[in-house]
Amino acid sequence: MKYAFFAGCLIPAREPQYENSVQKIAPKLGIELVAMKGVNCCAPFSIQSLDHTSWLALAARNLCLAEKMRLNIVTLCNDCYESLLMANTILKENKETRDEVNNILVDVDLEFKGKIDVKIFSDVLYEDVGLEKVKNAIKRPFNGLRIAVQPGCHLSKPKRLHFGQRMGVLALDELVEATGATSIPYERKEACCGGPLRGINDEVALRVAKQKLDSMKAAGADSIVTVCPFCYLELDMGQIEIKRHVKEEYDLPVLSFAELLRIAMGMNLEDWEIKTHRIPITKILNIVEAK
Amino acid sequence: MHEVANTPRGRGVLACIQCGRCTSSCPVARVTEEHNPRKLMEMIILGLRSDVLSERLPWYCLSCFTCLDRCPQGGDVGEVMFAIRNLTVREGKIPEGVLIQAKSLFENGRVVTASRMALIQREKYGLNEEPSVDVEAVRQILKKTRFDKLISKGK
Repeated sequence: MKYAFFAGCLIPAREPQYENSVQKIAPKLGIELVAMKGVNCCAPFSIQSLDHTSWLALAARNLCLAEKMRLNIVTLCNDCYESLLMANTILKENKETRDEVNNILVDVDLEFKGKIDVKIFSDVLYEDVGLEKVKNAIKRPFNGLRIAVQPGCHLSKPKRLHFGQRMGVLALDELVEATGATSIPYERKEACCGGPLRGINDEVALRVAKQKLDSMKAAGADSIVTVCPFCYLELDMGQIEIKRHVKEEYDLPVLSFAELLRIAMGMNLEDWEIKTHRIPITKILNIVEAK
Repeated sequence: MHEVANTPRGRGVLACIQCGRCTSSCPVARVTEEHNPRKLMEMIILGLRSDVLSERLPWYCLSCFTCLDRCPQGGDVGEVMFAIRNLTVREGKIPEGVLIQAKSLFENGRVVTASRMALIQREKYGLNEEPSVDVEAVRQILKKTRFDKLISKGK
């Protein structure tokens, strides 16, 4: 299984431990990730908010580069996923828009043809690798760990982009449970973490995050597992900020699902990777180290 | 209303029946009264142009798309928010946090760049270099879409 690997910007820049974990588990599960060279920003929501056509053209350029590699794109970040998937869908379906965008891409010697698909890493594990193979790779199960899964909005919303797929949130739950942990239900599971409002309205962003954390705590979670790097930052850093502002403590360590799988598959995190977590993850590591 | 409906993401406003399901499912409306998607749709329908295209109102939306999935009319409220933000931006109103990202996109080809610390970390721990970016191609595209002119209007 070979994919054009679109790492995005936030994960390489702020969460190298997430990317490193993906690079560690991929080969063990028979996935080959070919780095995409000379890509550009996926053009997330902030850029889409500024100008529709600029977004489509930038996203299309990335799609064209993968078309040249003749590989489907795999992303890690929910925002890259949404941006590329939505652009790919619009450009495949709408000839008028496709012509308009190709007219821009001509300047950089590219043409959108609509030959590839866009996937997110969790769906690749679930659909292409298969749950059985993931289960077989687990060496140190997290029995008894109660995880609040934070899928992130754009893993499965809007539903029209994901129609007919039994993936997204369900796939993530099953992947997390493949490690022996329990994915607990909680009220605000499908709600946003508030992250997109960072830099625009920090105070409201934090209030949204707090609702989420309250609901996780009420459901008796031990820790949080995310796909989205924005949720990851928001919920990890957000707990520190909430503690500072309203003196409320949650003590919910945040892991990306790739880190969770990596540990469960028997590969330790390095010291520097453990230290990147603002809420200490020792209590999670103790579960497997006791074995 | 038609100014919004005629943009690529704004058509949904024509379908709105003001039921309010968007507001009741909105995570931001739960925590602040300043954001009310149903009311914002109403203001668009009524043609209250300068109130809608204000500095703050269009920017409360998280684009989480919960409203898109729940709207019984296919009114695409979250998409309409993109339409009105695009229109607001053309009048030079861009929140500072977004403008920083836009400038970074034009300078570096991406909105978030690695800090020096992260680069040192990556090298020290044997990760590949940060994924390469073709900044020239990005600038060429953004000049053609006049994105550079657009953001230069921002304060």
